[in-house]
Amino acid sequence: MIRRIWTAYTVELIKARRLWFTYIGPVLVVLAVLGAPLLRPIERDGVSDYGFIAYATPVALNLLGLVLLLTYCAGLISSELSGGSIRMVLVRPLRRCEFLAAKLLLGMTYAVVLTVLVGMTSWLLAFTFGELAGVSYGGEVIYTAGQMRNAYLLGMLLSLVPQFAAVAYALMLSTFTRNTGAAIGAAIGLWIVLDTLKHPLRISPYLFSTYLEVPWKVFSNYGEMLDASWLPAVKYGLATSVASFVLFAFIAGCTLSRRNLHA
Amino acid sequence: MARCIQTSHLTKSYGATVAVQDLSLELASGEVLGLLGPNGAGKSTTLYMLSGLVPPTSGTVTIFGKDLRKGFLEIASRMGVVVERPSFYNHLSARKNLLLLAMLAGRNVTVDRALDMAGLLPVASKKVGDLSMGMRQRLSLAQAMLTEPELLLLDEPASGLDVESTQEILKLLRRLADEAKVTILFASHMMHEVEALCDRVAILNEGKLLACDATNALLSYDPSHVEVLLDAPEAASKRLVEQDWVEAVNFKPGRLEVRLRSGTSHQLTAFLVNAGYKVTGVIPKRRTLQEYFLKVLNS
Repeated sequence: MIRRIWTAYTVELIKARRLWFTYIGPVLVVLAVLGAPLLRPIERDGVSDYGFIAYATPVALNLLGLVLLLTYCAGLISSELSGGSIRMVLVRPLRRCEFLAAKLLLGMTYAVVLTVLVGMTSWLLAFTFGELAGVSYGGEVIYTAGQMRNAYLLGMLLSLVPQFAAVAYALMLSTFTRNTGAAIGAAIGLWIVLDTLKHPLRISPYLFSTYLEVPWKVFSNYGEMLDASWLPAVKYGLATSVASFVLFAFIAGCTLSRRNLHA
Repeated sequence: MARCIQTSHLTKSYGATVAVQDLSLELASGEVLGLLGPNGAGKSTTLYMLSGLVPPTSGTVTIFGKDLRKGFLEIASRMGVVVERPSFYNHLSARKNLLLLAMLAGRNVTVDRALDMAGLLPVASKKVGDLSMGMRQRLSLAQAMLTEPELLLLDEPASGLDVESTQEILKLLRRLADEAKVTILFASHMMHEVEALCDRVAILNEGKLLACDATNALLSYDPSHVEVLLDAPEAASKRLVEQDWVEAVNFKPGRLEVRLRSGTSHQLTAFLVNAGYKVTGVIPKRRTLQEYFLKVLNS
């Protein structure tokens, strides 16, 4: 089973690599980070370089990156359903759940690529125009460069978990319809509706989307010379994200396994 | 002969619409079975259910002695499928498409052999999006034959192909059945394709199996349907119409086409000779598949 999923994932990667649409997301998030110094300038003052990273990363990832991720993943299965290519694939010795797993892995890879690109670009800019020598105040180093780097890397790693849940959410909607436009519209539209209503409805603690920015909070607070703790927000974020991921993947699997794949 | 496919009370409903109803069918290894039927008869749905693309509402499918749901992986590795309106990854070349499908099949196969078989080697590097409809249909056949399957499920495989290409494909399929003993289930509404290729024909209409018999038996000479060559066909036709053992007479210049009630064929020549007509020939008509098909549908 693992071998078949891995093969299907490799096939998905080859297909994605040759599709121009794949490159739109990475290019846009990099451009967003490159444009961020216009709003949040970087100076060699021991603080603004980290401040820039703390500003650019969530903006590029959790606003633009999220829309791009949802758009990309919502089209992963619906496009195959509408085009009919899924029928060529699923008459091979490959179970539908394995095909779904390969698509999930592709979506997760996309999320990793966007996150890494945003991280690399923002750090490169901060390194070029700032000093990245740790956070200091009045000559006293409050957080060392190593502490800042580690906080960022851990934040980056933790931020992937809710993003993976977003991948599963978009992929679930992708199995519901053959219409790629409808799948993308539903993924983004439903997200906006839920995000708007979650506070009035008091359901925000139970939604993984609430915790998208949480992993960056520690780094951001460090950058502002504040104390910060990972817990308990990260714990709740991880729990809701993992539960959402499992739920969405399960619903997607059930939907796909019952689908009639006729012309 | 070992059974390759067996369906038992196979039914597929889409809401209130029953696409296939209580279909029980058997197909022996190495046999070529044609599924004939008008549009909407349930041919494609049957093939989709056999290939695992459409889950049946009820009934079972056994292929290579294994239940399709439980043994899907093994069955799929020994099966090639051509679906209606085949679709590929248009941004990739024909060769790359086949390479990816071969990867999914878990086989290390030579893609060029399948491309060559389908006559696609000269355009193998072209993007599928740039290929004509006929070329894509050929590519669909190539992907089905990629892993040298023991069973081919073909849904209108010659759709969109010109006459010459259709003949080539039919010859190729017949060769696969004769030499490699590949079992073929061939759905089509083109009578001549089914007639040329299939050992047995099953006729479906409105989701029900109406008839299933050997093609040779269906196309055998029919003693009750004859063509008579004689000197005065017009006058003879008027006399024949009056006879109660004659079902129908069709007058044509220089000859008559006569349909007789069964078991009365011996009376025709004697009657015409005794009436003074100069009969130069009585030729039993060969039933065409189309005639049989229409007869079954109308009955």
